[in-house]
Amino acid sequence: MLKIKSSGIQSYWLMLVATVITVSIVSSSQLLTQRISLLLDRQASELLAADLVVVSGEPISSEYQQQAEKIGLDVANIISFRTAIFIDDSPQLVAIKAVDDAYPLRGHLEISKDYVGDKLKVGQGPKVGEIWVDPKLSQLMLGPVTLGSAQFKSDWILTFEPDRGGGSVFNLSPRILMNIDDLTSTGLIVPGSRAKYRLLFSGEPEKINEFIEWIKPNLKAAESLQDLENARPEMRQALDRTRQFFALSIVLTLVIAMVAIAITARHTANQEAPKVAMLRAFGISQTRLMRFYAEQLVKVWVIATVFGLVIGWFSQYPLQWLLDTWFGKELPAISTVMPYTNAAIVGFISLIGFSLPFLFNATATPPMQVFRPSHSNRSIRRNIVIIVTAIFSVFLVLIVLVQSSKLAIATLVMILAVALVLPAIFYLMINSLLFTGRRQFWLRQYLLSRLKTKTRGALAVMSGFCLALLAILLIGVVKDELLNSWQKQLPDEIPNYFLINLRTDQVPAIEHFLQQRDIASSESYPLIRARLTHINEESVQDIEFMDPRGANLLKRTFNISYSDQLPDDNEVISGQWVANDSATPEWSIESGVAKNLGLKLGDILAFDIAGESIKAPITSIRTVLWENFKPNFYLMSNRQLLENQPQTWLLGALIKEEKKAELKQLIINFPSVTLLDITELMSRIRGIVSRATSALEFFFLFAMASAFIVLMAAIQTGRREREQESSLLRALSANIGQLYKVHIFEFTLMGILIGFFAALFASIAGWVISAQFFDIEYHFSSSTWLYGILSSTLVLTTVGTLVSRKVYHVSPMKTLRS
Amino acid sequence: MLDIVQDVSLKVKYQEALVIKGASGSGKTTLLGLMAGLDQISSGDIELLGNSLGDKNEEQRSAIRSGKVGFVFQSFQLVQGATALQNVMLPLELRGDSDAYDRARHSLQQVGLELKKNTLIDHLSGGEQQRVSIARAFAVQPKILFADEPTGNLDAKTGRQIADLMFRLRDQSGTTLVLVTHETELAERGDRQILIDSGCLIPLDPTQNTRLGQS
Repeated sequence: MLKIKSSGIQSYWLMLVATVITVSIVSSSQLLTQRISLLLDRQASELLAADLVVVSGEPISSEYQQQAEKIGLDVANIISFRTAIFIDDSPQLVAIKAVDDAYPLRGHLEISKDYVGDKLKVGQGPKVGEIWVDPKLSQLMLGPVTLGSAQFKSDWILTFEPDRGGGSVFNLSPRILMNIDDLTSTGLIVPGSRAKYRLLFSGEPEKINEFIEWIKPNLKAAESLQDLENARPEMRQALDRTRQFFALSIVLTLVIAMVAIAITARHTANQEAPKVAMLRAFGISQTRLMRFYAEQLVKVWVIATVFGLVIGWFSQYPLQWLLDTWFGKELPAISTVMPYTNAAIVGFISLIGFSLPFLFNATATPPMQVFRPSHSNRSIRRNIVIIVTAIFSVFLVLIVLVQSSKLAIATLVMILAVALVLPAIFYLMINSLLFTGRRQFWLRQYLLSRLKTKTRGALAVMSGFCLALLAILLIGVVKDELLNSWQKQLPDEIPNYFLINLRTDQVPAIEHFLQQRDIASSESYPLIRARLTHINEESVQDIEFMDPRGANLLKRTFNISYSDQLPDDNEVISGQWVANDSATPEWSIESGVAKNLGLKLGDILAFDIAGESIKAPITSIRTVLWENFKPNFYLMSNRQLLENQPQTWLLGALIKEEKKAELKQLIINFPSVTLLDITELMSRIRGIVSRATSALEFFFLFAMASAFIVLMAAIQTGRREREQESSLLRALSANIGQLYKVHIFEFTLMGILIGFFAALFASIAGWVISAQFFDIEYHFSSSTWLYGILSSTLVLTTVGTLVSRKVYHVSPMKTLRS
Repeated sequence: MLDIVQDVSLKVKYQEALVIKGASGSGKTTLLGLMAGLDQISSGDIELLGNSLGDKNEEQRSAIRSGKVGFVFQSFQLVQGATALQNVMLPLELRGDSDAYDRARHSLQQVGLELKKNTLIDHLSGGEQQRVSIARAFAVQPKILFADEPTGNLDAKTGRQIADLMFRLRDQSGTTLVLVTHETELAERGDRQILIDSGCLIPLDPTQNTRLGQS
């Protein structure tokens, strides 16, 4: 019986290299994405002082703490409440926060001796018997402070607490931070006191997730869970977008790697066809051949997985070094084998999915080819099998890697659609160019006819390279749009202080004070505290909200405002902004709240404002950019509706370092005003955004490296044909200049076509992704076209000509021998 | 390095049809390639159309071949994806002929493929492809034509037609022909036959097909 002998791994080496690259890309990118995500989450967690918080209006069961400690989480306790203290015989409402020694679990506190003095970063709250006070309460530092029935020493001003103002930064009383062990001695908290209890948790993401799974069913009605998603709206979108971008980058990088596998598999299958024809002529069945090739692929996969994982594992170290410098912070380590198992699985699916159909197709090579080589062994049915298998493989990979990411799925659908139409587009382009100038063959028609011929597979290679470039451009396009939107969101010159609790009569004087000292300020807004009581005449107590966030919203007091002008970064998406001189009552509502409460234009909302019921219909729905650090409001009205209601005012001011000394005078002149310094908060968010930016840049480079492999694979796979062609041209007396011309023009033509269509599809896909998934305004950029066409033409022509230069020296004898 | 021929001397006369015969692997094709200047000789010298090839690099040899040497290959070596006419135009355009189109058409007419001039090579039969190859070779009006097993890939009937065509065109143009074949019928149409065997060139009697002695 005939035995099929493997011709060794040499026949499959290009495919092997492509698979090694896929496995190493997946393992290292998964590993690094997880570590970068963890770094960003940790940084963002500093704004919550923890990874997870349980909030309750009642003392929290000690069972939660025990369970968390059992899992291996760190835990901290906070109790906060409001009370009045007397300063110079006048009462002052203060917000007391009692913390244990573990607080803060993430981030740090900042204290200083003087309001404008040097700040000290500390990792723990006040010691027993000590309190830290808000800058506004700095006069407390002159002597012992009495809180309830206990006295405290007050030596430090609290200038920054990471978790201050979660939810709303405007709803603040001056802070006093104390040690939780002192709380009993003050006697301020007794059973039934109004206080907020917080239990903070931090630890490895898996342990946090495990704890969330445990605690969710155990939560009581008064308790709620807070994480970054629901506690810090300023950060939510930046983190969401970064994660979305990671998923997008991984998918696109993978597309590039898969293109490399597909190109090399096609090349291998073409090389195997003559051998298959011979074996089939000798009577080897197609089934046996299929089994043989399946075995070969498994061998390739095993070898590629070993090498790929080793490369992926080692690549961490140089990349980590690079990233540590890049991010300015050490990447946290993760202890999971998931990136490696994922990489092995993705490698298997990609290799089998893209190679097996090509090789199975090769097994159908008719034995007649032994006598007369032809290239018509691919039927439409078999081509469909190849395409369907490839699509199925890609979706399997997607399930393994990005699971439920709608963005990744949508991107892939777009890429697949492009992959299906690209060969047809290139074919039509080449055909239309071929149509003209038939009286001259050399050089244009010669080039085009070569690109068109099936044997060279130039259309497939062009489509593959175009997809790779499209993926890179798309990463670049989305990255730039994200960076632009972040840049716009946090420009350098925005107010870093909020002046709150301003009386109506103080507003002109404060504005004048700031103007005199050349301090830029924002528009001032009134704040009216209101509670929603009725929707369309129905009491909210009787309404059952489908969305739990709707029910939560009713528990809170809204800060309502009014203005003649639509605030900056607000956009009316439905209805009309309240008319300037309208006497008719009108509400303008933020789109998120409208959605959570199920509200629409025309619905009538009634609010209780200082005991009076104020009623008006909704006449507009707005989107609000919460991350812009400007005064933003869920509800606004026309001036006439609220201007006579009890109100305080707020305004933002940009107080630069050199002007900070003026703050003392401001506090002296306007003692009732509260100053809220958000410099540190803004710098933290800027820091996170800048690290996320670095991550985006890093992934862009990663994708570039993968695309280079596609380029090499594309050039390498056509090399044999190019040798053959050069040899023939030589035999027909072409000189070396003519040979150079052929290749330069070939790569240039391919480069222009590839660059043009990659830029076209990247612009379209970028627009869809920006608008649909990142919710950012997309700007069609000429640089996408410029980079696309120029990079593809220059890189392809330079690398292609350099790599192909050996073929110019191929002896024409090869023609005789072929 | 393999010595294909040693201590041999061979002269091909103007307008002569020389046939080189030999067993598989005897070096027939290599000898043909060396004579045509397709490859570099390791020692000795070859003079092609009055030019010594011994010390010439590929670029120089290519210039010597240009417009004076034609080839017909066993596997046709046509440009796939191009038409019959375009294939014939190629060598003409490579040497810069401005009337390549008309000359190629004329050449195709001579091989009886005028009506198929715009047919893609992939759609032509083996015999037709070889006729295009012959048209391409004669289109440049070569002084010498090298043909390597020109009927090797064809059935006997088509092979005979191709041989007829090639010898007819050669007679019309007076082109010198160096032909490698192992087919007796084709070999017998040459003016002179030599056998390559163990690195030696042995003249054969074309009528008797017997060895005449070493040349």
